[in-house]
Amino acid sequence: MKFWFVLFALLMGCSSVKENKSLSENIHIDVEELKLDNGMTALIVSNPKLPIFSLQLFYKVGGKNEVPGITGASHFLEHMMFKGAKKYGANTMDFIIEGSGGSTNAYTTNDQTVYYENLPSSELDKILDIESDRMENLLLDTDAFNKEREVVLEERKMRYENSPRGQLYLEMMQTLYKGTPYGRSVIGDIPDLKSVTREQIFKYFKRFYAPNNATLILVGDIDVSRAKHIIKEKFGKIPSSPSVEEAHKELKDEDFVPKEKVDQVIAKKGESPSPIFMLAFPTYKAGHHKGYALDVLSSIIGSGKSASLVNQYILIDKPIATSMYSAHQSLEKSGFFFIGGELVRGVKLPEFRLDLVSKLKGFCQSEITERSIQKVKNNYLTGLYGGLDTNAGLGSFLGERQLIFNDWRFYKQELDMYEKVTVKDVKAECEEVFAKPSVFVSVWNMHK
Amino acid sequence: MKKIFSISLLSLLSTAAFGASFLDSIERMKWGDLDVVWVEDSKFPRFNAAFYFQGGSLSDPFSGLTQGTFDQMASGTSKESQREIAEFFDFYGADLKHSVTHEYSVYSVQGLTKDIEPVMSKVCDLFTDAQYPQKELSSYLSRAKSQLKNLVTSHSALADRIFRQISLTETPYATPVEGTLATFDKLNPVGMKERLAELNKTKKVLYLSGPSDISKLKDILAKKCKWTSETTVKRLELKKPSSQSAIYLVPVPGANQAQIRIGRYVIPSEIKGKYDHFGFLAGFLGGGFTSKLVQELRVKRGLTYSAGAYVSMQRDYGRAGIMTFSKNESAAEVISLIRDVFLDISAGKFTPEEFKHQQGHQIGGFSFGFEETNAFLSQIMLYDHQERNLQELVNFPELIASLTPEALKQANLEAFPWERLTIVVIGDKSLEKSLSRIRPVRILNYQDYL
Repeated sequence: MKFWFVLFALLMGCSSVKENKSLSENIHIDVEELKLDNGMTALIVSNPKLPIFSLQLFYKVGGKNEVPGITGASHFLEHMMFKGAKKYGANTMDFIIEGSGGSTNAYTTNDQTVYYENLPSSELDKILDIESDRMENLLLDTDAFNKEREVVLEERKMRYENSPRGQLYLEMMQTLYKGTPYGRSVIGDIPDLKSVTREQIFKYFKRFYAPNNATLILVGDIDVSRAKHIIKEKFGKIPSSPSVEEAHKELKDEDFVPKEKVDQVIAKKGESPSPIFMLAFPTYKAGHHKGYALDVLSSIIGSGKSASLVNQYILIDKPIATSMYSAHQSLEKSGFFFIGGELVRGVKLPEFRLDLVSKLKGFCQSEITERSIQKVKNNYLTGLYGGLDTNAGLGSFLGERQLIFNDWRFYKQELDMYEKVTVKDVKAECEEVFAKPSVFVSVWNMHK
Repeated sequence: MKKIFSISLLSLLSTAAFGASFLDSIERMKWGDLDVVWVEDSKFPRFNAAFYFQGGSLSDPFSGLTQGTFDQMASGTSKESQREIAEFFDFYGADLKHSVTHEYSVYSVQGLTKDIEPVMSKVCDLFTDAQYPQKELSSYLSRAKSQLKNLVTSHSALADRIFRQISLTETPYATPVEGTLATFDKLNPVGMKERLAELNKTKKVLYLSGPSDISKLKDILAKKCKWTSETTVKRLELKKPSSQSAIYLVPVPGANQAQIRIGRYVIPSEIKGKYDHFGFLAGFLGGGFTSKLVQELRVKRGLTYSAGAYVSMQRDYGRAGIMTFSKNESAAEVISLIRDVFLDISAGKFTPEEFKHQQGHQIGGFSFGFEETNAFLSQIMLYDHQERNLQELVNFPELIASLTPEALKQANLEAFPWERLTIVVIGDKSLEKSLSRIRPVRILNYQDYL
């Protein structure tokens, strides 16, 4: 098996294009797929350039799977996954991985928890043994559990309590998704983090950490047939979770729809001498066809030095903002479009908010042109190259799609959708999204 | 635990033996006055051109001039406005970046190979015809000042800035590359054009990667950029840092956590010929979850989320340091624990297994530095700047394998002598009492360092 990737100068219009193939037809990633009887999926891509590989293990569990009282459970569990299992005891796996020159870490989002390792090729058997051990036999040692609680609380301080930007994001999510699972804090509320028990986390682990809720990705210098054999041997014996399917079915899309019918304006006191803000609008879940036009819209108005927001608020004689950005965030069950930035001192927030909302609506007519869409597509192409340059980047690209869409090949549909986005599509989505009820949150030390 | 140390260094060494073939892939050329280091990379149809300029902020008559000169280079030429220039590069998906250090500057351009001609021609236009219009400069200064005043929103970034200024106070390296509130107003179009003209005449090296048809860049640079290498920069000689007797406490509003920085500057004679020893020490202390500091502070005691160590060099100076944070009430304990770790290593109180573990970590990790061509080129650039032979890079695994515990002990003694280390803590003012048990405390105002 060989990883090959052929891309020609596509995304028509930017230069002389002689190929008639679409972008998706020109990108071929040679993925070997393995499905175990217990429901686990493994994707393997061989790239023998260097004697290294990347492993990523995606679990379909995150903040949205938690219930009030155990907010932060997914993230806390992520920490505990490094604290030892039956075969590879406390503090052991880090030593094995780092002792061979590898690195490891993990992250937790609203929808998923992902463990990743970058290792020399010689360590494939060992890391698969480690990952299967902790999937099946996590220790959750009580002493380690209580010590790690303190570490999580320190991480929370660093990312949110001592960070006005962290406070801003948390407040925006909690307001936009109030009353829905996305409105809970992924890192957890302090009372929950202080009270959650080892037994509660263990129960959560047993439900969600199972082969039928996991996708394993391997990219790098790997003998594919041998890797498949080891995966079957190590993970094939682990029983599937009888209740995880039910847990996912319980989460209906409609339960994630933002409920606010009018604009919300939140002023939060925080240690930021200049006001920082986010303005968010509800959109669509990942994979929705309208989301691709919104991705393009977010790039037109908020990406690069020539973005509309930069021209309107930063590169002017008397700057109103020092930074402005926008993005469209697609989550598994919902999505949101947001604009954020840092304002200069002296700007009056209420007037700025009204001006921004008005300008956004104006952008729908003035900023969306054939050229601006082509510009986004050109940038998307260079970004794609950058994202796929490493084993880890390619693994993440495949894993995200397998987890959310249950099909890593979904990237082809996505590329097709980006390629087909027109001025009319983006204008229509622009008009629609900026007419929706919004959430405007600001953090500033002048707020009461 | 036995399994942990069953790593075979020989096996790791054999997998790291490809380094020589990477050296073979480097082609060094001369394009007129421009030195070129070229690595072919055909994985994607894109190029990356990183221009090394011999000269950084040490050449500035006031802090922030070189940074501002690069920051505002695209703010207008005699033919095009800032917006037109931005629109041009964004349209082609070209990524323009620059970084200024005290000793050198790097301007890099990444784009699609098919667009190399228009993109690089426009880059040359900027170098030859940047006008630094006053209107755009005023806007830039207004934003820069506002952002700097808001630095207090990131306690970590604030700690880094203040630590540099205090720990390097006896040297010209103390001044922040990006400028200060006091020096911003000295920036003006005439001075920036002069600085750009100087940069156009200083020695440059192009570190280039991309498909083979990239060679047309040679003509573009010769015709459009017209660079020369007439001037070279002056070298500095620093004295060793003097003793430190205080802890510098910088109170910030609303801090429920303390940012801790400990370290000193290093001079070349201390590190020459021993880069790998000091790199090994940094990894042993703070490189990853299994490093000594993370084990002592986080794993055993739950006092912090992260701790890191570094011993890094430019050419004429370097820095050795520790960075971590903790809750306010644990800050003094964390500093004491760090001191104990230093004392233990200097006394040789570490196990052969811990030592071998770090050897495995560094030898096994060697391959990852070659995964991205740009990262590989950056390594070459740093080696060139430090005037080091690239053979050292290839020999790295063998050098690490041959290190002895005594070398680690000695490196620690040299890099982290407690009495010469500067300690800076950003946190709540109430920390004064607990910190004074370690050293006398001097309270500083963070606004004096902006």
